[in-house]
Amino acid sequence: MGHFSVGIDIGGTFTDIVFYDHVSGRHLNRKVLTTHDDPSRAVLDGMAAVIQEDGVPVTSIKRVVHATTLFTNALIERKGAVTGLVTTRGFRDVLEIARERKYEIYDLRIEMPPPVVPRDLVAEVDERIGPDGTPIVPLDEAELLEAVDHLVARGIQSLGVVFLHAYVNPTHERAAVAAIARRHPGLAVSASCDIAPEIREYERASTTVINAFVKPLAGLYLDRLTSQVRALGIDAPLFMMLSNGGLTHLDEAKRVPVQLLESGPAAGALAAAFFGRNSSADRLLAFDMGGTTAKLSVVDDGKPLVAYKFEAAREKRFAEGSGLPVKISVIELIEIGAGGGSIARVDELGLLRVGPQSAGSQPGPASYGRGGTKPTVTDADFLLGYLNADYFAGGTMAIDLAAAKAAFDPICRAAGLSLAEAAWGVYDVVNENMASAARVHIAERGKDPRDYALLPTGGAGPVHAYYVARKLGLPRLICPPAAGVASAVGLLMAPARVDRAATFIASVDDLEWKRLEAIYRSLEDDAREVIAATGLSARSAVVRRYGDLRYIGQGFELVVPLPRGPWSARTRDAIVTAFEDEYRQLFGRIPPAGAVEFVNIRVSAEARATRDDVVLQGFGKGDGGLKGKRAVWFPELRNYRDTPVYDRYRLPARVERPGPAIIEERESTLVIGPGARFHVEPTGNLVVNLPTRS
Amino acid sequence: MARPASKSTSPAAKSRAGTKKRAAPKTVARTAATSARGGKPAAKPPAKSAARKGPPKKAAQVPARRGAARKGARFDAVTMQILWTRLISIVNEASAALVRTSFSALVREAYDFSVIITDERGQGVVQPPASIPAFIGTLPSTVRHILAEFPAEVIRQGDIFITNDPWKGTGHLADVSVAKPIFVKGVLVGFAASVAHAPDMGGRTGSTESRDVFEEGFQIPVMRLASAGKPDATFIKILRANVRTPDEVVGDLYAQISALELMERRTIAMLREYGLDSLTDIALEIHERSEAAMRAAIREIPDGTYRYEIQTDGLDDPMSIKVAVKIKGDEIVVDYAGTSPQVDRALNSALCYTTAYTMYGLKCVLSPDIPNNEGSFRPIRIEAPLGSIINHKFPTSGCSRAMLGHYLPFAVLGALSSVIPDRVMAGPGSPIWSVLMRGTDRHGRAFSNKLFFNGGVGANQQSDGMSCVSWPSNISLTPAEVVEQLTPARVVYKRLRPGSGGPGKHRGGLGQDILIENGSSSPMVLAFLAERTKFAAPGIAGGGDGALGALRINGEAADPKRQHVLRPGGTILMSTPGGGGYGPADERSAEAIARDARLGFAAAD
Repeated sequence: MGHFSVGIDIGGTFTDIVFYDHVSGRHLNRKVLTTHDDPSRAVLDGMAAVIQEDGVPVTSIKRVVHATTLFTNALIERKGAVTGLVTTRGFRDVLEIARERKYEIYDLRIEMPPPVVPRDLVAEVDERIGPDGTPIVPLDEAELLEAVDHLVARGIQSLGVVFLHAYVNPTHERAAVAAIARRHPGLAVSASCDIAPEIREYERASTTVINAFVKPLAGLYLDRLTSQVRALGIDAPLFMMLSNGGLTHLDEAKRVPVQLLESGPAAGALAAAFFGRNSSADRLLAFDMGGTTAKLSVVDDGKPLVAYKFEAAREKRFAEGSGLPVKISVIELIEIGAGGGSIARVDELGLLRVGPQSAGSQPGPASYGRGGTKPTVTDADFLLGYLNADYFAGGTMAIDLAAAKAAFDPICRAAGLSLAEAAWGVYDVVNENMASAARVHIAERGKDPRDYALLPTGGAGPVHAYYVARKLGLPRLICPPAAGVASAVGLLMAPARVDRAATFIASVDDLEWKRLEAIYRSLEDDAREVIAATGLSARSAVVRRYGDLRYIGQGFELVVPLPRGPWSARTRDAIVTAFEDEYRQLFGRIPPAGAVEFVNIRVSAEARATRDDVVLQGFGKGDGGLKGKRAVWFPELRNYRDTPVYDRYRLPARVERPGPAIIEERESTLVIGPGARFHVEPTGNLVVNLPTRS
Repeated sequence: MARPASKSTSPAAKSRAGTKKRAAPKTVARTAATSARGGKPAAKPPAKSAARKGPPKKAAQVPARRGAARKGARFDAVTMQILWTRLISIVNEASAALVRTSFSALVREAYDFSVIITDERGQGVVQPPASIPAFIGTLPSTVRHILAEFPAEVIRQGDIFITNDPWKGTGHLADVSVAKPIFVKGVLVGFAASVAHAPDMGGRTGSTESRDVFEEGFQIPVMRLASAGKPDATFIKILRANVRTPDEVVGDLYAQISALELMERRTIAMLREYGLDSLTDIALEIHERSEAAMRAAIREIPDGTYRYEIQTDGLDDPMSIKVAVKIKGDEIVVDYAGTSPQVDRALNSALCYTTAYTMYGLKCVLSPDIPNNEGSFRPIRIEAPLGSIINHKFPTSGCSRAMLGHYLPFAVLGALSSVIPDRVMAGPGSPIWSVLMRGTDRHGRAFSNKLFFNGGVGANQQSDGMSCVSWPSNISLTPAEVVEQLTPARVVYKRLRPGSGGPGKHRGGLGQDILIENGSSSPMVLAFLAERTKFAAPGIAGGGDGALGALRINGEAADPKRQHVLRPGGTILMSTPGGGGYGPADERSAEAIARDARLGFAAAD
């Protein structure tokens, strides 16, 4: 009998399920359509299918790990609970007024995202705490309860409580939560001091009401999933993937579900980090390109970078500032409007533009023959020979090349390009869009792209990866096995992780070290408690301290990893050095004078969720793999060339071959240019070494 | 000598239904890039498009029509797009670095800065797409002013130039411009430049009371900040002595320099990668394409002269901005003849600032997607009478120029509202409001903090105006919690002003009420910037006007143009103006009316 971990990743279209046996290394995958009316149904059906068809005894399942985009989708589609907000007298409009800033300066018709809580469901109460935590006006509980009664009568199912300066002193918020719980025990309540105890009232309120908005849904869904998994006879613990790439137990997930918003993409980044480690690459650029978007994340020292805020549900999908701010720890990810369905056009300047408009899956690229007439990236991929018109999606889909050619005709005429030039142009421009985004993203962190390997996933990732890597000057491409279900695999090796934060504003030259130490301790204790509640040893947890530090007078902070505790006044120099090193790394130089201050303090606790390593079996055992040849366009040759086509599943390990080459697998195709060399590693990774640049 | 901007006589209004000509573009004079201050005129921006200079130098042609294949183009549609994407990513990266390292709240919270890469003649190649509108076009002209004083022959690798000359920069001393030459193989190929609002510049910064530029603060003529890599220690020492917060001011200069160095490195790497020796071809290419696109957009608007007049609060008497937007074929002349003469307070807008905001208004309507550069401005000429409030002479002050300049984009939209009402919007509740608070906190420490507040935006043909959003500027609020951490002020409330949006088929955006109390035990000195307290943001296409703004101190109406002292426990109430409505109010849908009532956006009950 094996010892199985099960990873479940619910995406917008597919639900991926991976069973992995830690004893034999065997993995069993299922890709089923997501059931939007009740997402747990697809999970159950998929799991039941593996258990029955592959004969997995339910008692051999030792843990189940889950990621889902359900909550993000609920927010984007505004299908969460009817939510109310109680706030300090005078601040009813904190969500309406938001940031007072346009996300697009030349468009006279932009619209801001509507607040999650409509104005008529926001109530003010008398209470006030000063910036230093001193209570100025006591909380009027009678007024509070009357206001909440009124909101409940208006039909709210969930409530946020956000008081000014609650990040310094949460007593009023806690008193309010307790009073509300006594009066309305069934009402879901989220207080800002528990959800995002950080300065800046709009961002904190936004995070808190989004938590409130998805909280009832999360409770219902996670309870149902649990009972259904139990009904299958599985009594293993269930874990949820958080946006920061860590796992947590269900109670924590239900308490602060806003932490789950980015759990799907986080699993993907973790998977990339895992596959990279198999090729001894601990600096990676994870590149996931699908039908409408490409996502990029940076992996350093084998771990995806974590940020402490992001923007959810952007009104204009990729426009920074058009979404709702969420202050949680989250795997840092950039998303751009570049995918297989991205539409190409010649703009008013006569330049070739690609995306962000997408043909999606309906009507889809012209070559799909479903009525699409606009030229897309996928059409270009067919015209260049990168994709095989006769073996698309494993030969299950008929491709209409004539339609693709016809779709390109207007571009060819407008830009004065031949068909091959136009197709290459579309391919090259979309690659530049992604490379530019990656370049800025990496450079903003003071890093050099050339130190990174590119790890492509998603249907279109491997098709574009080689030339994206060339643009960035990356030396190596690592194409993982089972890329089609990579996110679910990522769940299997995720650690348990807890992040906690508090606002603490003080100069390092003038602060109460004992008080700072005490706050760190309490955050650490809280984090360890959550780790213990996931069933892991709190003592095995690695606890790290961070500080949001800046020079006094600056408005943005750097999140800096800091020495372990306990601290005293003697720690000051080490903290300043850590800050200055980070600052220099990011911005090249430090200012001539300046004192350093804390704004927020953070703690993360991480514990390995399983002692066993995950090693997927079944790759690199083939005997050859050459399927045939076809004409493929390469920019180095400025022409088509008859190019060998290999079957990924039949490539032997450790045999090096030269590019150009095309490697086909069920879900994708890897393009390799002339001058490169590639081989399969025993772990299943296909590694491409790019030619060094002249 | 200063060369006055040309002032033409306005031709009589033409019929709107003028025939559109598809004639070849004609020569158009550009906005005079000279300063109204003494000194050398800026190096003239070179080369109108080649098509208008007789035989094209490099076989370049303005495309005959949109999207046409361009024979003889320097780069094809693909290569140019790729270079363009790369350049934008360079300036975006520099912007991000500047925001993150700045000590100035105006830079990081309000994005009051820009960066640019120009070619070796100071022609703008690329600016960040989200750059603040005021700086469109001002930075390249600053670089040309630098070139006028320091010709290419005397510029060495590692030099950095600096100025805050209002007429050569952006119209007031607070904005510091710096530029660094970019060399490839020992040859000057361009400049990385940046402008940012300094945390302080001495003088009466932030007040409308300055009577001339000497009262306004510390002046930095066009000069070297660094010579061949060595910063000028003497200059830094003098600068430090003349500003209230020397560490922050000098810290910001370093932040700007870091951004310049970043652009320099990235530009050199890009040129090397593509085997290019200069930025010239890229600049010419993008300018020609932008110009052609702008001309095509202008051709779509019927010929005619469209007039508009805006009254501003002014000082004791209102001031008047008169504009005639004259469209003929594919060219536009914006003529401000008849606008009020300059005033002896800091409310004047220098020509560079006037130009920037006029172009911004036109761009919103005509070509939101065309990049900002000289090319797209070539078909447009701005005529602003020298000695008027929108082209004032040295040494009058333009310290609070936003109080005038922020009206200008709507002056253009208002003029065009008679011919293309569906493409413009109703009057916004701008200029932006602000209060500068100075005093001593509980611990006896001096503080100085400037807070911004926005009114409602005008409605448009498609939707209601946005409430409390910065337009035309793009300055975000300072959170109340941050205000209270930094100052002893207490934000008692910050609320929407129900009913303040102009009525209409689509309602104007709402303004806000902000009540602030002096929570310290000593008096605070206050300087306000506030407009539209006498003339409301107008509706268009039959829509009604937005509500007026108002300032009250300790419950009494107060004049925002004067300095005030707020005693401990005293209050200020700022009520920002609402935006104008679009279309007749009786066409407003029942659903929209019900929604406004339910959400409390309608007038208070």
